Amino acid sequence: MSSFFAVAVKNQELILSSLSRHLLICALSLALGIIAAVPAGIFLTYRKKTAKAVLAVLGVINTIPSIVLLGVAMMIFGLGVYPAIAVLFLYSLLPIVRGTYTGILDIDPKYLKAARGMGMNRLQILRVVQLPLAMPAIVTGIRLSAIYVISWATLAAFIGGGGLGDVIWMGLQSYNFRLVIWGALPATLLAFLVSWLLNRVIRLTQKHISREVAQ
Amino acid sequence: MVRFENVHMSYGEHAVLKGIDLHIEPGQLAVLIGPSGCGKTTTLQLINRLITPTEGKIFVNGRDISTVDPVELRRGIGYVIQEIGLFPHMTVKQNIEIVPKLLGWDEQKRSARSKELLKLVGMEERYLDVYPAKLSGGQQQRIGLLRALAVEPPIVLMDEPFGALDPITRESLQDEIMTLNKKLHKTVIFVTHDMDEALKIADVIILMKDGNIVQAATPKELLSHPANEFVESFIGKQRQAVGKLDTVREVMSARVVCAPDDTSVVEAVDLMRRQRVPSVFVLNKEGGFDGQISIKDIQSFSCTGDEMISRLANKQIPTVHPEGSASEAFKIMMQENIDELPVVDGDRVVGIVTRRSMVTSLAKVVWQGEAHE
Repeated sequence: MSSFFAVAVKNQELILSSLSRHLLICALSLALGIIAAVPAGIFLTYRKKTAKAVLAVLGVINTIPSIVLLGVAMMIFGLGVYPAIAVLFLYSLLPIVRGTYTGILDIDPKYLKAARGMGMNRLQILRVVQLPLAMPAIVTGIRLSAIYVISWATLAAFIGGGGLGDVIWMGLQSYNFRLVIWGALPATLLAFLVSWLLNRVIRLTQKHISREVAQ
Repeated sequence: MVRFENVHMSYGEHAVLKGIDLHIEPGQLAVLIGPSGCGKTTTLQLINRLITPTEGKIFVNGRDISTVDPVELRRGIGYVIQEIGLFPHMTVKQNIEIVPKLLGWDEQKRSARSKELLKLVGMEERYLDVYPAKLSGGQQQRIGLLRALAVEPPIVLMDEPFGALDPITRESLQDEIMTLNKKLHKTVIFVTHDMDEALKIADVIILMKDGNIVQAATPKELLSHPANEFVESFIGKQRQAVGKLDTVREVMSARVVCAPDDTSVVEAVDLMRRQRVPSVFVLNKEGGFDGQISIKDIQSFSCTGDEMISRLANKQIPTVHPEGSASEAFKIMMQENIDELPVVDGDRVVGIVTRRSMVTSLAKVVWQGEAHE
């Protein structure tokens, strides 16, 4: 057991820098994902036919094994952190787009009738009614994406993206399985932590909404 | 105030409105009524351009509304719907102040307005910070109404606003809308399928059928001079629903006091005193009806306090079935000279006909809801 921690102490610089790199990759790709996917989801609610096609395409992308997609990204962007972010960004899209799209479409039409009847324009309806009421579904999508991105980011090391995958990779190459665990464990804990945090956010956003539903 | 000129509305082949001509005066409370599918809600939604007519012109305040920006038009027209549609993520205050905020009123003016509005429907200021889910249905619809009145629109459209509320709440909201209509001089256009509601609140009733207006008249005229058989039967069908007192169920009170047959006389007397009833029904072990015991019986028998009521119970008392004839029940009470008649279904007690419950039901029919118990 003591050697287990000794490995960590010995490699602490590597582990810490990999962790911060991991965080950076995840945060960037997730942020880009949110910036692209939420507006896309909103837009698709006005174009329901296009929505079906877009969601299908994104669904296909998510079934491509990440290692294949990483390979393709490497051919396009070369080695390094950018192809990794590009691939993780692609993966993060589907849950957020779907969450936003269905979240808005699932809103009880009576709210839209009331909003339209009192003279709100489309943008006001979106801002005052649709987005707040769809927020729990949107954040649920973001949470799902965050978990995907955090776990798949470990693969970024294969194309030189860095992150906790580096630690795992190094451990595998030197048959140092304790080091492998020191790469896998922080990634897992990070996923748990982010998931827990976002669950709290979800509960906050649905505080008054769900009470209405429960009636 | 609102004028329709030969308005047609169809969805594909299906014609919903077939040439509506209509004129609603300022300050009037106009009620659109008719069987479902007659086009009354469609007519209402044409006024604030939630839908656009296929043919014809609609004027609000003298302006052809097809030339007015729908968003601007709607801000001058309050809109209240049956589903209420208060936004659940906003407090009462935020809900009421939506349109004032969109129009750029400052916080002070908005706040003063929502307090003033709450007073209008007799709700306390503490409700301002409450979320809709915490309100009763009646309170929610009051807020729905206030939200529609927030920027003092001269016209208010109401689409079956009280349809989902219980009868007592509905009554009081009807009274409030009548008062508001007179006090604030709003033109109110109200959709309902309930003729009693229409007769009670309307200045003018517009009766529709299959996309046409059958008759537009004051409640008095409508009752005394129905335009045709349809009007007559539509009024009649609805009126009968209140006027009939055929079955025992309609004249009985469901509040019955029962005691198991091994109850002692002392306990039974105590129960009657606490429940303020002159008698209790005796139930056997299976909970079935097994006679009645009244305070008079106990007084006339010589008995000890810890005797069981089963021996004293009057098992010969006549009973009636809930679906039995009400007039028959009345006859029995008169002939047998009894004050109370148990209503029994199978062997279960489901209610009691008393002179009081009978008179109350009769009074409701004769004075149509003006009599209160």
